[in-house]
Amino acid sequence: MQQAGTSGSEVEVTWEDQQNINKFGRLNNRLHELHDEIKIAKETCENLEDASNELILTDEEIVRFQIGEVFAHVPKEEVESRIENMQEVTAKNLEKLEEEKETVVSQMAELKKILYGKFKDSINLEED
Amino acid sequence: MAASGVTERRGIPAAAFVEDVLSYLNESALDVNSALAFLQERLQQYRVVEMKLLAQQRDLQAKIPDIEKCLDIVATLQAKKDSGEALIADFEVSEGIYSRARIKESDSVCLWLGANVMLEYSCEEATILLKRNLENAKASLEVLVADLQFLRDQVTITQVTIARVYNWDVHQRKLRQAASPKES
Repeated sequence: MQQAGTSGSEVEVTWEDQQNINKFGRLNNRLHELHDEIKIAKETCENLEDASNELILTDEEIVRFQIGEVFAHVPKEEVESRIENMQEVTAKNLEKLEEEKETVVSQMAELKKILYGKFKDSINLEED
Repeated sequence: MAASGVTERRGIPAAAFVEDVLSYLNESALDVNSALAFLQERLQQYRVVEMKLLAQQRDLQAKIPDIEKCLDIVATLQAKKDSGEALIADFEVSEGIYSRARIKESDSVCLWLGANVMLEYSCEEATILLKRNLENAKASLEVLVADLQFLRDQVTITQVTIARVYNWDVHQRKLRQAASPKES
């Protein structure tokens, strides 16, 4: 993340600067984690959609629904309501993650402004 | 020299923040190359600890969904007990081979505690135990995440210090080069 300054001029790094750099690093890590978590949440949403569609198409009364490690025989209505609940939970989770991601991105933009403002070319905050 | 006030966290030493490169080198009585070597070694040590913590984090993140699945099953068994019917489930006997089981209403479940030990609990006791395990796992994960954040901060401080010491040295060499032609 850090590059050696090209001009060799000494811009002093204060403890406040160091804390800003640390915070930027933490936010960047969290951003990567959020990307992965959002991807998983979206996949789960899609899977639940597919499952729900399959349910509508099937004419069986008893559906094999996975609970834990086994497939329990569950009546169709109960499976429908279970899947609906899971969809609600996943959708709320996804919304929370997207909100957190927006906060993180804007905080990172703020810090970039501050750090580039002081250090200009002596610092590199871009993704390699 | 260390402006943070925290000298270590759970065995991880904090990286000292350098206010001024020259006074840092004088106070530690190190020349530039030794200082850089020391800092690089510190960075390596931090990386080793980071690997260990990341492995622990992965284990915990796998454990939590497992406990949640167990809670789900126990809750399902309890609900079935109230309805008076047996629960019919297909389970995996071997990879790709499934068989059907009829689980009659029962007041108890057996929980695998690890180390080849399995204990029988009533459904209520099992739920309490599993919930406690889940809370402990989540709390441990929180502490671990905080440890990792602290560690990464120390890594960043050390990287910045290495860059600053290196730049200071480059700057000093330029000054010396600029000064020497004038002397002769």
